Amino acid sequence: MLKSVVRAVGAAVRLSSAAPGASARALPLSCPTLRTPSSVTTRPFTRSMWMLSNSGASSGYRPKLFSSKVLGPSVSCGCGGLHTEGDKAFGDFLSDEIKEEKKIQKNKNLPKMSGGWELELNGTEAKLTKHASGDKITVTFNVNNSVPPNFEEEVEEGQPQKSAEEEPEIISTPNFVVEVTKQAVKHSLVFDCQFPEDEMGHGEGEEESDIFNIREVSFQPEGDADWKETSYTLNTDSLDWALYDHLMDFLADRGIDNTFADELSELSTAIEHQEYVKFLEDLQGFVKCN
Amino acid sequence: MGVVIRNLQKVVPLRRSRLRRDVDTLRHILGIQKFDLGIVCVDNHRIQQINNIYRKKNVPTDVLSFPYYEDLRPGKLPCPLHRDELNLGDIFLGVEFVMKQCQEESLDLHGCLTVVTAHGICHLLGYRHETDEEWTEMLQRESYILSEFSRLTGRHLEPLMKRCSQET
Repeated sequence: MLKSVVRAVGAAVRLSSAAPGASARALPLSCPTLRTPSSVTTRPFTRSMWMLSNSGASSGYRPKLFSSKVLGPSVSCGCGGLHTEGDKAFGDFLSDEIKEEKKIQKNKNLPKMSGGWELELNGTEAKLTKHASGDKITVTFNVNNSVPPNFEEEVEEGQPQKSAEEEPEIISTPNFVVEVTKQAVKHSLVFDCQFPEDEMGHGEGEEESDIFNIREVSFQPEGDADWKETSYTLNTDSLDWALYDHLMDFLADRGIDNTFADELSELSTAIEHQEYVKFLEDLQGFVKCN
Repeated sequence: MGVVIRNLQKVVPLRRSRLRRDVDTLRHILGIQKFDLGIVCVDNHRIQQINNIYRKKNVPTDVLSFPYYEDLRPGKLPCPLHRDELNLGDIFLGVEFVMKQCQEESLDLHGCLTVVTAHGICHLLGYRHETDEEWTEMLQRESYILSEFSRLTGRHLEPLMKRCSQET
């Protein structure tokens, strides 16, 4: 299996220019240089929690928040709510943070999916729909909890702060559900798909992973929002690989392939960022009570 | 476990089931069905990286083999003691590179991938082409595999090494 690449030290032989004598020794594949950088549009990891843990250097903010007296409102807006010095500092911090995030926002418009997909948004949930002859294909995903934790972000005290270029990127890789509905069939074939975690450069993953995986497959009543637990669910963990390949080809024929997965991640990253900025603005409004 | 296919690229639309069927036919011809085998499909960028790391050749290529067993006598199957060792290794297919070659020569992509995979499997089984003798031995093996493949499937395929030797 693929693990053997890691364990095996053998000859890597080029074929096409194949002059006799062309061979080389193989080295462990766990070498990080083998990881292809994702083509997905990314942005620097500059969120508030990170900034707080680094003395807020980039915003010029010092965490008075923690030393302020909670009681003792100093500002009044007539709303009847509690306003503290801490709230004011919080509001100022959010204002800086929103400015920073808006600077990072490359494009206000969401990236387009190629292949004739129509996008419908409902808060953090996105739904892509297209028709392929008689088949209707819908893909749904939620940007909440779609950014894998980044283990490289922990900066030890005393260490120089990384420059913006060196900061890890935020990439959203949500699980997504593909629903294929055929005409005159009451049930849809539903694929639960995911991006493997190690594809994002986290951990010490030894195996080379596909860009996305099918996790589960089942029949579900068409358009039913609730997952019917009584439907047989095919788990791909212990699946015959030949069947798995046919399922992947079935999806590819309907536009769900590696290109789609990359574009979906790019779209999800943009939506997630939009929602994040919107949340910060709501939070600022709530704290300030304007 | 059998054959594990990974498609890490998006340049070439690949039929995984077709690739699997062709690789299974090759395994049947060589009598290596009980051994695991990894097929990793990558683009030019990725195979160039691997080629540079392991062979110090900073160019894309069509196939790189990583045998599980070193120093096998060509054609002699390994005799593993444990289930975990029923493994021949991995083959990285430069599918983008192969596709461009196919386009230039008006050849069928999956036919070419079968030929390239046959070459890669030969390397996993200890065949080399560092000397003229090794070259001849490997070419003979490849010719046999592909003639059997043609007999079983009705699809005529030529060894890639033959074309290489004509070019050089």
